[in-house]
Amino acid sequence: MSQVEAATRRWFGAEVASVGVINRLVMAPILQGQRGWRWWAVLFFAAALSLLMLVTAIWLFGHGIGIFGNNTTVVWGFPIANYVWWLGIGHAGTLISALLLITRQKWRASLNRFAETMTLFAASLAGLFPIFHLGRPYYLYWLAPYPNVMGLWPQWRSALVWDIWAVGTYIIFSAVFWYTGLVPDLAMLRDRAKTLWVRRFYGVFALGWRGSARHWLIYERFYRYMAAMAVPLVVSVHSVVSLDFAASLEPGWQDTIYPPYFVIGALYSGFAMVVVIAGILRWALNFQAIITVAHFEVIGRVLLAASIVMGVSYASEWFWAWYSGARAERELVSFLFTGAYAPLYYCQLLFNVVIPQSLWFSAIRRNLPLLMVIAVVINIGMWLERILLIWSTLGRDYLPSMWRLFLPSLWDWAMLLGSLGLFLLLFILFVRILPAVSAHELRALLLEGKQA
Amino acid sequence: MPPVTTGRVGGAIELRRREALKLLAAGMATALAGCGKPNEEIIPYVEMPERMAAGDPLRFATTLALSGYGRGVLAISVDGRPIKLEGNPRHPYSMGATDIFCEATVQSLYDPDRSQVARRAGVPASWDSFLAEWNEVAGQARTSAGLGLVTGRVVSPTTLRLISELQKRFSSLRWYRYEPVNDDQARTGARLAFGRAVAVIPRLRDADVVVSLWADPLGAGPPQLRQANDFAHRRGGPRPQRHYVAEPAWTLTGAAADWRLPARPENIRRIASAIGGHLGSGQPTMAMPPEETAFAAKAAADLTASRGRALVLAGEGMPAEVQALCHWLNASLGAPVDIIADPDPVADSHADSLETLVRDMRDGRLSTLIIADANPVYDAPDDFDITQAFAAIPFSVHFGSYLDETAAACHWHLPQSHVLESWGDSRAVDGTASLIQPLIRRLYDSRTCDEFFALLEGVPAPNGRELVRETWQAKAHGDFEAWWRDSLERGIIPGSAPSPLVIAPAAPKPSEPAGGPASLTLVLGPDPCLWDGRFANNAWLQECPKPFTRQVWGNAVLLALGDADRLAIADGDEVQIAVGDALATGTALRMPGQTTGVVAASWGSGRKLTGEIARNVGDRFIGLGSRAFARVLVQVSIKTTGAQRPFYSTAEFSRLQGHAEELFPSVLLAAADEPPAKESPPPSLLGTPPRGDYAWAMVIDTNACIGCSACVVACQAENNVPVVGPQEIAIGRDMHWLRIDGYGLPGKEADRYGFQPVPCMHCELAPCEPVCPVGASIHDHEGLNVQVYNRCVGTRFCEANCPYKVRRFNWFAYAGDQAYANQGEVPMKAQHNPDVSVRGRGVMEKCTYCLQRISHARRNAEKENRPIGEGEVVTACQAACPTRAIHFGDLNRPQSEVTQLRQSPRHYTLWAELNTRPRTTYLKRVYNPPRSKT
Repeated sequence: MSQVEAATRRWFGAEVASVGVINRLVMAPILQGQRGWRWWAVLFFAAALSLLMLVTAIWLFGHGIGIFGNNTTVVWGFPIANYVWWLGIGHAGTLISALLLITRQKWRASLNRFAETMTLFAASLAGLFPIFHLGRPYYLYWLAPYPNVMGLWPQWRSALVWDIWAVGTYIIFSAVFWYTGLVPDLAMLRDRAKTLWVRRFYGVFALGWRGSARHWLIYERFYRYMAAMAVPLVVSVHSVVSLDFAASLEPGWQDTIYPPYFVIGALYSGFAMVVVIAGILRWALNFQAIITVAHFEVIGRVLLAASIVMGVSYASEWFWAWYSGARAERELVSFLFTGAYAPLYYCQLLFNVVIPQSLWFSAIRRNLPLLMVIAVVINIGMWLERILLIWSTLGRDYLPSMWRLFLPSLWDWAMLLGSLGLFLLLFILFVRILPAVSAHELRALLLEGKQA
Repeated sequence: MPPVTTGRVGGAIELRRREALKLLAAGMATALAGCGKPNEEIIPYVEMPERMAAGDPLRFATTLALSGYGRGVLAISVDGRPIKLEGNPRHPYSMGATDIFCEATVQSLYDPDRSQVARRAGVPASWDSFLAEWNEVAGQARTSAGLGLVTGRVVSPTTLRLISELQKRFSSLRWYRYEPVNDDQARTGARLAFGRAVAVIPRLRDADVVVSLWADPLGAGPPQLRQANDFAHRRGGPRPQRHYVAEPAWTLTGAAADWRLPARPENIRRIASAIGGHLGSGQPTMAMPPEETAFAAKAAADLTASRGRALVLAGEGMPAEVQALCHWLNASLGAPVDIIADPDPVADSHADSLETLVRDMRDGRLSTLIIADANPVYDAPDDFDITQAFAAIPFSVHFGSYLDETAAACHWHLPQSHVLESWGDSRAVDGTASLIQPLIRRLYDSRTCDEFFALLEGVPAPNGRELVRETWQAKAHGDFEAWWRDSLERGIIPGSAPSPLVIAPAAPKPSEPAGGPASLTLVLGPDPCLWDGRFANNAWLQECPKPFTRQVWGNAVLLALGDADRLAIADGDEVQIAVGDALATGTALRMPGQTTGVVAASWGSGRKLTGEIARNVGDRFIGLGSRAFARVLVQVSIKTTGAQRPFYSTAEFSRLQGHAEELFPSVLLAAADEPPAKESPPPSLLGTPPRGDYAWAMVIDTNACIGCSACVVACQAENNVPVVGPQEIAIGRDMHWLRIDGYGLPGKEADRYGFQPVPCMHCELAPCEPVCPVGASIHDHEGLNVQVYNRCVGTRFCEANCPYKVRRFNWFAYAGDQAYANQGEVPMKAQHNPDVSVRGRGVMEKCTYCLQRISHARRNAEKENRPIGEGEVVTACQAACPTRAIHFGDLNRPQSEVTQLRQSPRHYTLWAELNTRPRTTYLKRVYNPPRSKT
């Protein structure tokens, strides 16, 4: 066994002897048609939560934004936090695909498909929240530059307008990138489908892919260019989202560290979510042979690095608040540590910075259940970070007479849980319709090792 | 506009089928006859009369009474609907300003909860059926004894005339008049001092030193507007007054003081004696704590030094002997006071009147009881057990605006017309008479008090206007019609004030305050927003934050910090107060700066029966004590029940401690004229926005502001600001465009407190503007930061980025179909100012500097082809302010008031370092303490 082959074998289980095994493993959940009771149970659970989200949305549009807990001082609340959080999760997929593709980290092949799917779903969900957040959601289109008789145009200095463009571009790009990578696998599904309609279904979307050398050449080139475009885009999206906060006058928001801090935060929560999803898929779809402990080990390192950056970012906030001498900034930091939300803030620090330090140990990185628990904790911590960012700054800015706390309503929670349910629903349908890992890229990786 | 209709029929009506059909037929007939057309001949609008352009507001002078005493107002009426009240500058007890009660009166006019029909035992009936029954009863009442009449304080010449005619017709008539917020101690004190019924009116304007012994001349009440005006005149003038205030709990006067001493009531009495002793009254000097001794010595020295321009005031919480002592002190100091014959002709004290009433009811001396515009069932102490006394009365009639507690206890209830629907007259505190004229036809089948008394007397169809004219025809000289027209136009009757008397008070008798161990003392008084409870159903007043607690929708039991700690009572704890056998529960609130050993609570809340707004809001404390309307109750015990109560407040008192240094700077008088370090705005990358023809700006003088909240309610009335209700307040959603921030001054929270009204800052470099994605928040060419409601999509980024948090969001359709309680009902809509948009759900709104008033002035100026003049635009808050603390004008004019004030050494900008360059700026508070106390 050559050195290269050994390097590639790291990413496969022992039973992956040939590309045929890969194909069978990847196609099994789609074409074998066995739906266990667990799948149905999860489907119903997810559907029920999705229904909760639908009911909440209907109630929201009927009764107004007042059903949430927002108040005159803390005018932003859950929808904005949920938006930033989901969008952050939506970062890992494209980043894993594109950045790792460019840097030739071939092990990405086991992860990129479902990570990209996660991106697509999460970013789309995130895109809903600004609509739920609006006082008059039916005028959402006013944020778009469309020709109208009044000659009105969006107000381009507003970070929210930048945001729409950034997120819109990202969602469209992610969808195209995801679909491009999917085409060879769709063709394989077409070719293996047992019934006419299934064949036609996959056939339409396979765009006549025959796997000729010319096809592969065009594909590889196109995919690489897309990846090259994707990397700056990933960085730009959360940078722009961070400007919603940084391009303001508020203490704790008006901070130049925000763009990189948000991008790293997004990566962090995204990778954590990848761990959770990978762990579940591996078990539920019998992917132990193609999603290996080695994969988790690598992601564990990424998480560790990100957690250190987050810690440094938090510390820099404290330092600059102290060093600037600005009263409002200092008061805000002291409020974080001693105010009404202090327990939540300590949880945030614990979840995002302290607990992930255990990933220094290889044994913990390779311990799947433990790693998944840490990943969930990180996701909770990142959500807390986003909500506290809003609550603390808005609730404690310049004039103490208007300092107020935020009391979440049941609808706030319903919307958050509902969005998790919808995400789950979309995912559980996805794994039964499309290959959850990229068969053709796994094949390439395996063959590459063998040829060497 | 559609005619005003009520949209609902109150209460449960039992109808038989025939009656229902009759009503249906009658209703159809009326509908066919036309909606709301009057019976008299009317003249079509073929040629537009002068000044009567449709949609143009007209102003009419009228008078509003508070506890009987009138304050002149100008009612703004648009197309026959009064929409706003402003002060009448000609009236001595308005001076062009209003208080919160004046401002809120227009809300109560359109209150759907107002009583709309006569009721017999709660069932709708007619005035005719009442009259039929009354005539029967009256036949007996005239001969047999036992007819009682209960009213509030009456100083109206017409009402007094009608009562005396009633007394003539029914020789047995016993008239009980009482007012919960009364001047019993002052009257008794004046009688002790002068030997006759006189009213003593201080002229604050002429005093250099004022010592207030728990007197609250700046607090809510009939003389507030005048006293506040006088106070501000001196405070802003070249020789500022010095105010000494000793008080157990916070009052507005205490907050305005240069030296405020929190003291127990009995110690304030000792201070009075000590001051008397220093000034040679022969009062014994009694032992008291060192702070009190120092206060008394310094005050006495200052009074002596300013002889002729020194004034001592005693509040209603001080007993009659102290009042008499103060009269003697004032006389010996040559204090600026006017002594007039008491406008209130009834000699009995108010508390005695109520006690006599209950005794007479109980003893069977009354067979018929008429209660006109009074609510004894709510007002009387629990000890009187007045509900039971009512049961003994064979025929009782309640005449009033609401189906209140007393209405429920009476056989008949008759609806009273609102003051804006009424003809009448009134007298101010100094006796100046003025007329009341209606602004709108009666919304319901109601009568004015005068008409009601005339009906009782037997006049078949009395007309309020004729009754008033009858009174004055006898008194006016010369051409009556010209006099009448002139009096209505001016809003006062010139020369109607009695001339001051020149009488000397008797030497005071030495008195010793009741001894005994120092016990927990409960001090009571009128609510700053609800008064004695008569305004309880007014949603604007319920939602108007109280001056110190910023509490809305309820009242609190205020505890000194020391007591709260000792008793382990926290904010929001339910507490039970026991005074003798009487018990009351309330919501506790810790109050810095309150005297240890003193618990404070207010009357006016805890109404059980009234409209939807007041029902079960707050707690009733007026029932405590064995003597009616007692303001000091001793030997009080207080304990927690263990329960927690929701507490609705728009800001926490304690939170503002320690921030005053930067946000509410103050200077000592000696340093007030020193120019501060020249501050120029920091540079900005955004550049300075170009200035248009005008540059509107506002300067608020925190030194003049007394925190009365008139501006808050005025803004609400002018700008169609909706009420949100307690649940929304609990979440933290208030809608007031103008709020008043209160600051306890650092380290001296017991001594000092200041108010800072905060409207929109109209920043030149407004942080709200660049963040709006749709350009709904924009700058206009006159420097206003305007909000385009139609364009707003509700991202709320503007409010998030506002350092002053002055923007308000319509979380629900507060002004539409999601309005609080009865606020969305049809009559309420008639109050809306047609020049201001009613905002819908999901849009941001905020202070506009009363843009509609600027537009109005601009239209007038453009018609005459001239620029808008100085003082031509008066914002609603500015117009209401009794101390003229709010200044508004054009910064482009070098000579304008605001330009001048911006040069003042006291001028400062809120959060100037943010470089938002606000157009709303402030003047610092000035303290003028005596030398040793700095």
